[in-house]
Amino acid sequence: MALLQVDHMTHFFGGLRAVHDYNLSLEAGQIRGLIGPNGAGKTTVFNLLTGIHTPTEGHIHLDGQEITGKPPHRIASLGLARTFQNLCLWRHMTVLEHVKMARYSRISYGLIGAFFGTPKRHREEAAIEAKAHTLLQLVGIDHLADQVVVNLPYGAQRRVELARALAIEPKVLFLDEPTAGMNPEELVQMMEIIRRVHAEFDLAIYLIEHRLKMVMELCEVIQTLVFGEVVAEGPPEEIQTNPVVIEAYLGKEGVESSC
Amino acid sequence: MNTDSGETPAASGSLKKRLRRDLARVPLLAWLWGAMAAVVLERFCGPQLADLLGLPKVPVLFGFLIILKQPLLIPSTVVFITLIYGLPILLVSRLLARPANRLAAFLLQGPLAVSVLIHLAFFYGTLHLWSDMSAYRVLTLKLTLIAVMLTLSLNVINGYMGEFSCSHPAFMALGAYAASVMTLAFFAKDKQFGEALLPTALGPFMFPLVLVVAGAVAAIGALVIAIPSFRTRGDYLAIISLAFLFIVKSLIENLEWLGGPRGLSSQPNYASLPTVFAWATACIWIINNFVRSTLGKALNAVRDDEIAADAMTVDTRRTKMVAFLFGAFWAGVAGGLFAHVLRYVNPGSFGLQNLAEVLAMVYFGGLNSVYGSIVGAVSLSLLGEALRPLELFKWIIIPLMLILVMIFRPTGLIAFREFDVRKLVQPKLNPDHEV
Amino acid sequence: MTFFLQNLVNALQWGSFYALIALGYSMVYGILMLFNFAHGDIFMVGAYIGFGVATGLTALAAMGMLALPNWVILVLTILISMFLTSFVGILVERLGYRPLRDAPRASAAITGLMIGIILETGNLALLGARRVSFPSLIDSVTYNFGGVYVTNKKIMIVAVSLALMAALHQFVSRTKWGMAMRAMAFDYVVVPLMGVPLNTIAALTFAIGSALAAAAGILFGVAYPVLDPYMGIVFGWKAFVAAILGGRGSIMGATLAGFLLGFIEIFVAMIFPSTLRDLIAYSIILLILVFRPHGFFGEAYSARLRL
Repeated sequence: MALLQVDHMTHFFGGLRAVHDYNLSLEAGQIRGLIGPNGAGKTTVFNLLTGIHTPTEGHIHLDGQEITGKPPHRIASLGLARTFQNLCLWRHMTVLEHVKMARYSRISYGLIGAFFGTPKRHREEAAIEAKAHTLLQLVGIDHLADQVVVNLPYGAQRRVELARALAIEPKVLFLDEPTAGMNPEELVQMMEIIRRVHAEFDLAIYLIEHRLKMVMELCEVIQTLVFGEVVAEGPPEEIQTNPVVIEAYLGKEGVESSC
Repeated sequence: MNTDSGETPAASGSLKKRLRRDLARVPLLAWLWGAMAAVVLERFCGPQLADLLGLPKVPVLFGFLIILKQPLLIPSTVVFITLIYGLPILLVSRLLARPANRLAAFLLQGPLAVSVLIHLAFFYGTLHLWSDMSAYRVLTLKLTLIAVMLTLSLNVINGYMGEFSCSHPAFMALGAYAASVMTLAFFAKDKQFGEALLPTALGPFMFPLVLVVAGAVAAIGALVIAIPSFRTRGDYLAIISLAFLFIVKSLIENLEWLGGPRGLSSQPNYASLPTVFAWATACIWIINNFVRSTLGKALNAVRDDEIAADAMTVDTRRTKMVAFLFGAFWAGVAGGLFAHVLRYVNPGSFGLQNLAEVLAMVYFGGLNSVYGSIVGAVSLSLLGEALRPLELFKWIIIPLMLILVMIFRPTGLIAFREFDVRKLVQPKLNPDHEV
Repeated sequence: MTFFLQNLVNALQWGSFYALIALGYSMVYGILMLFNFAHGDIFMVGAYIGFGVATGLTALAAMGMLALPNWVILVLTILISMFLTSFVGILVERLGYRPLRDAPRASAAITGLMIGIILETGNLALLGARRVSFPSLIDSVTYNFGGVYVTNKKIMIVAVSLALMAALHQFVSRTKWGMAMRAMAFDYVVVPLMGVPLNTIAALTFAIGSALAAAAGILFGVAYPVLDPYMGIVFGWKAFVAAILGGRGSIMGATLAGFLLGFIEIFVAMIFPSTLRDLIAYSIILLILVFRPHGFFGEAYSARLRL
């Protein structure tokens, strides 16, 4: 069984079939891409796998353990981290606090420590803080650690999300359009960071992306989702030339690249 | 101060700036010493000075009451306050700034707790000497400290967690009644509960335990609301907690063994000023510890974006439950103290008016802020007392003030500020002396 | 059976007051997604304005300057007071809520509470602590329907309430402004971009809600002719609970839940000692809300408290 194994996942929103018979086997260390036109259900797939919605049918296994129907925080602490397409940051918290927060499930000082400020708590908080700084350095925003996130530029906010997800120490990392709204320069930097993260932590990465150039460069395997169904799956070269993909995704005319 | 004007007569414009810079170097310790000096001065020279200035007695609440009652005495009151409080505090704290800074720095080399305890000791000493002058001051001070506890605990729910709870008076009532029943039944001879079940002498020592149980009772009450409420977000909690408030109030009114609408009275006199002060301090310390830990910060994460918090391993439901019960616990403790301060408690004290007052203190002071809650509770409590001579118009002025605060600072005066004790007690050294 | 019917009549009357007040809460919530916590006190102000108008009109009639039968004076009182109280509502919206439109909703709730306190205290300051009694404009006549006693006042109260609710329903579903209100309730961020003036609609909503509360106040004065400045607190909060029970924003829900609350209260008092009335009534409401969190006609909560 693969690290993240999804079998025959189907989901209905009321009477609307959002995802149909979705299968995935994501191996450790692999980078995969999920592409598809707007409204194809890409984010829904992410939401189903991370537990925000429970699939109507099908099974999801992470590292051999069934996670179908588990609440999101359980799934996350089992090692599945994600970022959000439209930045879900906590507007009154600093960058450092964001990253520290993702260590929540590993905190062992408990309520006693929280209430009475025991030495154990201080040790643990210090350790978390050191770890958070390391991650912030990795994504290159350690100098912004004490800023409140809403004051940051867009690109930096995306990096906060990434650092926060990494603080979970995930086995699998989901990136939902990590470069949305970025200019070409930021895009290149982000790709660099993703590569670095991948190399350093030996993560399996699954990413949704609109910029085909980036997907083609980064991913080993790409899935194409159209109206909730996978219409094509394969290495980038194959996807690029697949007529079904070109028709569904790029339109009948066939455009070179959207980026 | 006189050195300022003597040294630089030419630069009188910079006098204010200079004064401000001077005062910026005064550490908390020196301010406490200054306040203590003022209080001692009032104790020994206050009555004579009041006599000399033609005041009927020493102004009991910094002269506010006198000013409103007898406007003709305004000049002498101002002189009195300046001579007894203003000048001594400024002079002593400025003169002692240097040794105080040195001492503060020395203390901080040891554990923070020692430094904080010494500051607290001076602070308590000042309050004690100040309030010793009249029973009215003692009562006002105790009620203010209780208000701080209530405000802070409600801020955990309404500010840090971002829900809107209306049941704080109910938790307070649960705590007040639980504590009263325990002390009356165990440690006092009472017409309702008969002879004392335990030796009366044990009472004061068991009082902390009684308060903890009172808090626990309130927390159990909170569980009744929390279980259905935290399935859905939005203002559901507001409504459920409001219904709970009505239910608790009318339940107590209907229980004859709790005295029904008449309530319970003659609780033993356990809630002395040091007791109330110690509990208020413990409350501030523990709540501040909690909200600054990552476990406590999870509340902010849940408030600002619950889905993201969940995706980042935060157990949102547990977090909310814990915080809600925690807030209710402190409201219960405050209620228990309240019952033993007034030594009288009836269901009428825990109604919508009480709710409006606590909510006002939380939102006036500032959400998500321990400073804010302290400022809100103290200022509104004292303002309520100070405006008492205005009778009815007090209830027009205070609401108007609150509306203005809401319009110009919708989250309150001092919102979203961390309460860092170390920063508070550290020496304020001259920047150019620092290396 | 007659006992039951007798209580049913009382419950209908009691429910009319709740329903009329609850409508105001619900409509404001529908548009602005916030509770106007001053609404209970607007009910009180409405009752006092009604008192003033009725006293004035009867005085004129007594001096012979106004030769009108008493029932016409009552109708005039209701209409004039509704008109005047609607301006109180507009004022409250303009001063207390509009400046806070983009603020956290909790802040607006605090403002509402404070406006309520100001209205109560203002009333006390103006008229003093004495209670005033509403002039009795119609003589009580009791009819006996097979053992069930019904006064003409009760019939009048229920009839007027139902007429007002029907009028409101017609207004909301038929007129241009009513349609604008419904659109605004659907989305008050986007609809203004379509050229519907949010401020006007918000003011209109407050005006209508306040007018209905004023009507409730006068009808209450007719049935129980003693007014005091704090009468709005008890009624206001209960009607608020009814608005929730009906499902916030739902006019139908508020009406039905108002009557339901009247029924619950009267029948609880019929079976149990009257001191237990609030306890049992609120416990029932709590239970209903636990199992139907959105009330009877409410939508799922999409709203969040913004800080």
